[in-house]
Amino acid sequence: MSIPQVQALEALLAGAGLSKKTAALGLLSGLGAKLSRACDLPSPAARRDPIPTRVPALDRLLRGGLARGVLVELSGRRSSGRFSIGISALAAATSCGEAAALVDLGGHLDPQAAEAAGVVLARLLWVRPEKLKDAVASAEMLLTTGFPLIVVDLGLAPVRGRFVPDAAWVRLERAARSRGAALLLLAPYRVSGIAAGVVVSAGAARGIWKGSGCAPRLLDGLAARLVLEKDAQARSGVAEMLALGVAETIAPLTLPLSPLRGARELFRSALPFNPPLPPRGGEGRGEGGIPGPLAARPA
Amino acid sequence: MIACLFVPLFPLAARLRSEPELKDEAVAVCEGNGSAARVVAATRKARRAGIEPGMTLPQARAILPKLVARGHDRACERAAQEALVEVAESFSPRVEDEGEGVVYLELDGHPSLLLAPLTPSLSRREREPLKSALSSNSPLPPSGGGGRGGGGRLQGILPLARDILRAAEKALLPARVGVAVSKLAARIAAGLPDTPTVVAPGEEQRFLAPLPLARLAPALEIASTLDRWGLHTIGDLAKLPEGEVASRLGETGRELHATARGIDPRPLEPCLPPPSFTEGMDLEWPLASLEPFLFVAHAALERLLRRLEAQALACTRLEVALKLDPDGHDARAITLPAPTRDVKTLLTLVRLELEARLPGAPIAGFSFTAHPDAPRRAQLSLFGPAALSPDRLATTIARLAALLGADRVGSPRAVDGHRPERFTATGYAPPPPPHVRVAPREGRGLLAVRVLRPAVALEVLVESAAPLMPLSPLTLPALAGGRGDSKEGRGEKALPLTAGEGRGEGRPVSLKTLAPDAAPPIAGSVRVAAGPWSLEDGWWADAPADRDYWDVELSDGGLYRIYRDRAAGTWFADGVYD
Repeated sequence: MSIPQVQALEALLAGAGLSKKTAALGLLSGLGAKLSRACDLPSPAARRDPIPTRVPALDRLLRGGLARGVLVELSGRRSSGRFSIGISALAAATSCGEAAALVDLGGHLDPQAAEAAGVVLARLLWVRPEKLKDAVASAEMLLTTGFPLIVVDLGLAPVRGRFVPDAAWVRLERAARSRGAALLLLAPYRVSGIAAGVVVSAGAARGIWKGSGCAPRLLDGLAARLVLEKDAQARSGVAEMLALGVAETIAPLTLPLSPLRGARELFRSALPFNPPLPPRGGEGRGEGGIPGPLAARPA
Repeated sequence: MIACLFVPLFPLAARLRSEPELKDEAVAVCEGNGSAARVVAATRKARRAGIEPGMTLPQARAILPKLVARGHDRACERAAQEALVEVAESFSPRVEDEGEGVVYLELDGHPSLLLAPLTPSLSRREREPLKSALSSNSPLPPSGGGGRGGGGRLQGILPLARDILRAAEKALLPARVGVAVSKLAARIAAGLPDTPTVVAPGEEQRFLAPLPLARLAPALEIASTLDRWGLHTIGDLAKLPEGEVASRLGETGRELHATARGIDPRPLEPCLPPPSFTEGMDLEWPLASLEPFLFVAHAALERLLRRLEAQALACTRLEVALKLDPDGHDARAITLPAPTRDVKTLLTLVRLELEARLPGAPIAGFSFTAHPDAPRRAQLSLFGPAALSPDRLATTIARLAALLGADRVGSPRAVDGHRPERFTATGYAPPPPPHVRVAPREGRGLLAVRVLRPAVALEVLVESAAPLMPLSPLTLPALAGGRGDSKEGRGEKALPLTAGEGRGEGRPVSLKTLAPDAAPPIAGSVRVAAGPWSLEDGWWADAPADRDYWDVELSDGGLYRIYRDRAAGTWFADGVYD
């Protein structure tokens, strides 16, 4: 291709090729018709049909959700919201009929809470390895089986088990790519090295509490800052604020909570009869319908 | 019609089925030990060299030094016989196992016989064996009413018999097939080298007449008597008057005479299908290491799973029985999470089982017994999410269970109760995916809790009386550092702090893990605390839960769920908000 032809092509592609239309059209009608911008070519790593995590901040960062065939690593210290994101991704995948697997290194899953978060437990395979090496091996087996979404949670620092070489993560990434599976790796710190296609870090986390002054406090949620550290198809350094809330279930029989001792006895003595236990949904209430600490949270 | 499936030289065929690489070698199967061992059967190559049944092994070796000798292996023969029965069962539900490589099956009502062509349309190649089987003066019987019987049926039988032969070959058994109305005629027809052989109904006597008397396998004394009488064929015996034969040879002679006339009153006695499938063999020499054993076991498992596949079954439990050298046995059982037909998976499980618990002695023989179950099936959808392959899923779950332990793989289930650490898991059997992809539910953005199992024991400093006011970060370090010190004159004073047993009467101020090597390590002063919430569960049980729960945020930003056991007065962390 001669220099004038190249200049004409560049001008045409830049939108200013009217004055050199003849040369450019001549070029495009021949061999040049097959020429196109490299960035317009379909990439093998082009994201197709991502699995949404249903966490708006992360979905915005990942432009739709977890891309299939990509290893996404989400790292962050304790209480940074990464486990909640994993549960949310599992809920999104299983609720639309797809099978999913959770490789839970610490065995931290609470099935009741996961079900409340929308996870269809029947579609979830829960694998609880004890060592990091076993976790990686399990994830590879699950990838070859054809699970469309696999969440690997490495638990809390320090990660149990020995160090695994970088090659193991590269193998995982290749297995995910060849199977077209979305692989979400939740780690307390960066572990996958260069293998991860997308890296998001969660930092500056803080709890959100209700109540101030002398009023009793109540945990209301958690806020953290998600930063896109690495993405081959997007600009890194983009940040989003993650906000997670505590499930609020109001018991039919509730009193304003007081941390004072003896509240239960006061409550019982104020009633002419022993109140029946409320139906399920108010789990976590203590004896006699006293609002409990866990799933049942006062508004 | 009854078909007889017969494997000639059955001990040898069973042995070659276990060791197919010896098929083209000069092999002899021997009975007995040492120099007293006698040849029972030999391959064609050995027979051509002059090896005959009845020879002692030293005699055979003198003729053919390179003769490969194998012992009479009952395990191999049992497995081969089972495989032969399974071949027959794939064609008919009524099968009789006579043992020693002989199986009868009833063909009446078989679809290929019912759908036989109305007019004879045999090819030349198909017609020849039929002609050779029937005597020259025994034409094909005329077609019955409607053209569904007689010659039409016979024409349907030949392709069916060939199908049976092909199925037996697939099971690595060189079988022959004979079809007749009676078991005796079918058995003798199956013994003929030109296979398959079909005897037309009513033509049994004519079929048997030219055959030598040895085909009836008479007792030795009677055979010598008949030979002295100058009787050489079955037809010669059949021509004699029955009463005369019975008066000279007794009841045995009368039965033999009836047999020679093609009369066989024995009905087919169907056997029940075995509840399990077994493959195994005795090894020529004891194996002391695992790899050679797994090499041999691989072939046996392949044969076993091929048999299961022929019955559209899969293995749900595998029993391994090892015969140890010089004596002793070792038995294992491997229960699979889901039925599978994957040889690699089963071999991996056998390896893991043996590695975990070594037999303790060289292995001189083994047998695998598979308990069958129906494999899982899946219907694929064009528009919905892809379903997992049941076979591959079963394989993966089995491998995961072998790697991690069966209790560490499964599908979680919610459990009624109040304790947050409760959980249960069942076998993973996902429901089929929807036919059309549905939109995922709207996310609730809920904060999840990592449950710490078991709960981590804590050492907690608390206020002696719980004030209804937040703790100032300025005071926390002082409180944490000054255990037992009293800080007077402050609005948010939370003093005095207590330490040791019995503390925990109020709000936690600082905490750290009790054991220095506890995982995960937790330590810090409490920035915000909310609680307590009471939980009482299982007061009627041996281990009731009576707890006061707190949500705390530590100075490092970690959000924890901790509780105080009211009965013991001890503190634990059982969850991390993450």
